[in-house]
Amino acid sequence: MREIVTIQAGGFANFVGSHFWNFQDELLGLAENAQADSVFKDQCIDMDVLYRTGETQQGFDTYTPRLLSIDFQGSLGFMSSRGTLYNENQNVPSNVITWAGDVSTTVAEPQKKNLFIKSLYEEEQENLHTGNSMDNGKNEDETDICDKDIVDNLDGTVQYWTDYSKVHYHPKSLYEIKGLWIDNEEFNNYGIGRDAYSSGRGEEICERLRFFIEECDHIQGIQYVVDDSGGFSGVAAEFLEAMADEYTNIPVLLYTVRNPTSDTYIGSRKQTISHHIQDAVSFSRLSSFCKLIVPLGSPSFSRNSRYLCIKDEKPYYSSAVYASALHSVTLPFRKKLLGPTADSRYESGYLSVHETIQMLAGQSRQNKVSILDVAMPAPSLTGKEAGKYLLRNMQTLTPETATDSEDLQATETITLHGVLGSGGRHALVAEANDAIQAAYENASPKFSHVSVARCPLPIPLPFPSIFSNLVGQHGELLSATSSSSSKGSLDVHSIPMATRLRSSSAILPFLETRLRNFRRFGVERGALGKELLRTWGFEKDDLEDVEEVLHKMVTTLVPESQISSDSE
Amino acid sequence: MSIRVLNPNAEVLNKSAALHMNINAAKGLQDVLKSNLGPKGTIKMLVGGSGDIKLTKDGNTLLKEMQIQNPTAIMIARTAVAQDDISGDGTTSTVIFIGELMKQSERYIDEGMHPRLLVDGFEIAKKATLQFLEKFKTPVVMGNEPDREILKMVARTTLRTKLYEALADQLTDIVVNAVLCIRKPEEAVDLFMVEIMHMRHKFDVDTRLVEGLVLDHGSRHPDMKRRAENCYMLTCNVSLEYEKSEINAGFFYSNAEQREAMVAAERRSVDERVKKIIELKNKVCAGGDSNFVVINQKGIDPPSLDLLARAGIIALRRAKRRNMERLILACGGDAVNSVDDLTPDSLGWAGLVYEHVLGEEKYTFVENVKNPHSCTILIKGPNDHTIAQIKDAVRDGLRAVKNTLEDESVVLGAGAFEVAARQHLLNDVKKTVKGRAQLGVEAFANALLVVPKTLAENSGLDTQDVIISLTGEHDKGNVVGLNQHTGEPIDPQMEGIFDNYSVKRQIINSGPVITSQLLLVDEVIRAGRNMRKPT
Ligand SMILES: Nc1ncnc2c1ncn2[C@@H]1O[C@H](COP(=O)(O)OP(=O)(O)OP(=O)(O)O)[C@@H](O)[C@H]1O
Ligand SMILES: [Mg+2]
Repeated sequence: MREIVTIQAGGFANFVGSHFWNFQDELLGLAENAQADSVFKDQCIDMDVLYRTGETQQGFDTYTPRLLSIDFQGSLGFMSSRGTLYNENQNVPSNVITWAGDVSTTVAEPQKKNLFIKSLYEEEQENLHTGNSMDNGKNEDETDICDKDIVDNLDGTVQYWTDYSKVHYHPKSLYEIKGLWIDNEEFNNYGIGRDAYSSGRGEEICERLRFFIEECDHIQGIQYVVDDSGGFSGVAAEFLEAMADEYTNIPVLLYTVRNPTSDTYIGSRKQTISHHIQDAVSFSRLSSFCKLIVPLGSPSFSRNSRYLCIKDEKPYYSSAVYASALHSVTLPFRKKLLGPTADSRYESGYLSVHETIQMLAGQSRQNKVSILDVAMPAPSLTGKEAGKYLLRNMQTLTPETATDSEDLQATETITLHGVLGSGGRHALVAEANDAIQAAYENASPKFSHVSVARCPLPIPLPFPSIFSNLVGQHGELLSATSSSSSKGSLDVHSIPMATRLRSSSAILPFLETRLRNFRRFGVERGALGKELLRTWGFEKDDLEDVEEVLHKMVTTLVPESQISSDSE
Repeated sequence: MSIRVLNPNAEVLNKSAALHMNINAAKGLQDVLKSNLGPKGTIKMLVGGSGDIKLTKDGNTLLKEMQIQNPTAIMIARTAVAQDDISGDGTTSTVIFIGELMKQSERYIDEGMHPRLLVDGFEIAKKATLQFLEKFKTPVVMGNEPDREILKMVARTTLRTKLYEALADQLTDIVVNAVLCIRKPEEAVDLFMVEIMHMRHKFDVDTRLVEGLVLDHGSRHPDMKRRAENCYMLTCNVSLEYEKSEINAGFFYSNAEQREAMVAAERRSVDERVKKIIELKNKVCAGGDSNFVVINQKGIDPPSLDLLARAGIIALRRAKRRNMERLILACGGDAVNSVDDLTPDSLGWAGLVYEHVLGEEKYTFVENVKNPHSCTILIKGPNDHTIAQIKDAVRDGLRAVKNTLEDESVVLGAGAFEVAARQHLLNDVKKTVKGRAQLGVEAFANALLVVPKTLAENSGLDTQDVIISLTGEHDKGNVVGLNQHTGEPIDPQMEGIFDNYSVKRQIINSGPVITSQLLLVDEVIRAGRNMRKPT
């Protein structure tokens, strides 16, 4: 077994995670569904990599994500922090067995369940009674009406990530930060987060992680999704440092994500400075203790896509895109070792987290930062310029990257799944490889690895309506437009995906901005952010560390010739 | 639960309005917490919007569960939580004392007195009260053979404010024994060496002291024994799993054979380490009926587990870092960081090691150790909120015992100290103070009465009657506290009601500090946003 433990820290990270686990849950359901397409039945994906089997005290078997989610008190909405599976009696107990005196009970107003959650719950109750699992044929007409209501309802009401989650979580998975006496909006900087991690919380968080790691026979890595826009960057960085110390040899693959609106909200000069310092500090600290960091959250993404209509103000929408990309990236880590029956013409083999990191960050140039690009949905590999067309359709999810950079030392790993090849059948591994190689011609990256899988991205019911009318039922790209409204899970059932992780000097603008801003606002004489950094508990040494880390990342990428002329 | 006294969004308020806002916030917080106080207080059950249940009678826990929004209330709550961090107890008293100081001040301020004068009076009264505490406290000698009876009385006093009597009394022995078990002469007591472990059990409420250790995981191999006697214990931090070696040059391997060779070499070196452990086992267990248990902080992969299982060894992986230290203290031996350091001397010993399984949860008990300096308090309860509440109580009990050992003194409880200090301030101190600061001393003195008053109120007694009878006795020279059942004066010494000296001192110290800040406010700007605790 090559387990992966997932950690999600902070509001938007959990929004992303919720979609991510919905995909997994959907795949699990489809694999058992007699009516599902055959690609879903023989997925060649080993779910045990991300999931654990367990047992409740009543003796029921459980199958839940190997997940530790960290969020703010009150962020779970209707869901209990113990999850939904191992529930003891949910009724308010009438007596207290530890106290003979008076009892005063305060019952908060129950959080409302939306239509989707209610229907999930009802379905489960029915299954419990009939003993039937999900493979009983649905009555199409009836569910259709119902499903439309659900989708519309979700679109208008999602407030918490739990509102659209269809997954059962383990009681140790959901950790809430409590007792800070500040609200969500005020938990907005690295310093606050760092303080919140201490005072006992860190210990509890580490203990929960240990629970998931201890049961792994051979863990291949930790996938760590961090909302770095506010206090959670501090929590996450402290936690990461503790992890690096305790589990030295387990590689951590870190994604930073953020709500697209978190960047547009900049008011006073003071806020702007604090924002810049936050970005620099959290990136520097997070990158110090992981093996590979992938910054996500490009504000231009939603504007440039022809096939997606994303309302940035809805985290429910934007998080769905990041989750889709993350899902694709994990596929090679979860390939079943190809047996003799598997068709290796269509499925490439297993690639570990470690190997991926080696490809991207472990080459002669030790660049820890990678860029994530996605084609969602991916075009078919047909026609002469298929590879070129595919690459041109890729959009980057990483902010502040250069578009015109030429980097002969670049390395990359591409994942295609559900993509069609010539003749309308699934693309062959060789076909994909050839197409990509041909696309680069002479300006190719130093190294490029392609993974191929047949299984497309399934679109679960609670997936938001973010597809444009140019996307067909199976994610095929349409040219004619029939209607103008956006499409959701009722119209689009699956899509082919292509993602690319790339280690390239195109990340330089991102790094340089952070270095420049940190020097300007945090280090230089009379810098306006010095006081702020002091309140975050940063001493002189810490400032030097932050700067050094950023500086090193830049110099790794700047070609030798430029360093001498540019140096200050 | 939330506390909104005045509009918390007001950015800046003028001086007088600000002052009254502070007073109201302090009173508001006092109102929420006061019914908690003492053995007749009310336990609180909080049911959240998602159905999560929290049960608590502890001021500290209750505050942390509340979403407090008022900045003044937040400042008071921080002081109270700091009180708990420093001394482990007295959060409720701190909050109600601060509330009462503010209330008393309000009277004088409304009559036109300047807060500055009150604050001066508080300062004098605080010093005098701390001096009085030095005289009032009961010294106890805690040499090599600590007075168990005193320790038990202090622990019992605390525990009975959190749990019903029979349960509190059962836990009293447990916490006292636990602290005495880990205590080392000439060293500060490290309560981390007491592990607190819990199990969910449908009907059972039970707590016991395990002299040894309970780990929350088990071995990961089906053939390993679930129970073994006479065990050599190896505590180590050695990787027993295949790890990909770092290859930096070039991409991967030039061919498959090379890759195979790398893998095989790595595997061999892991196996070597396992074999060294097995060698040691064979050496020490030769011929006898003893067993061998490995508890490793790092991972152990299935092939290594196989080898160990075949050699008859029980092995646990990914042990808590802190358990490495605890194991050594419980079983002896040394923590081994490299297989090259393996010697028979590095091994510890346990008479019995066995596994207990509950659903997917596994526990490993390491018991019958020779000379334990670490132990585990094992709590069983039917649900999480009950377990959590007992756990909080156990922590309070442990802290009370530790404090007593370190303070080498205790203070008579049940309101005795507060009444005595108040009479001292009014009868002896006030007259030595010049001018209106006298009134500050008076306010402080009367604020102290909030403790006996609240104890009386929570017992359903008439507070005025109680205060009259208690102060009367004190003026006659009898140090008495409140009998919560009858309202009559009692001798806390006879009844064995003792509080911690350091807790009391901390309350007297921190209460006036924060009150003064709140009284001397010029204007309130949404304060209290930085997370640092008041020191
Ligand atoms: N048997 C008793 N009779 C009367 N008073 C008692 C008795 N036992 C304890 N007390 C008093 O109860 C008070 C302690 O109550 P309690 O433990 O509920 O509050 P606290 O220590 O201030 O705060 P917390 O424990 O919530 O942090 C002390 O003043 C103590 O003297
Ligand atoms: Mg107490």
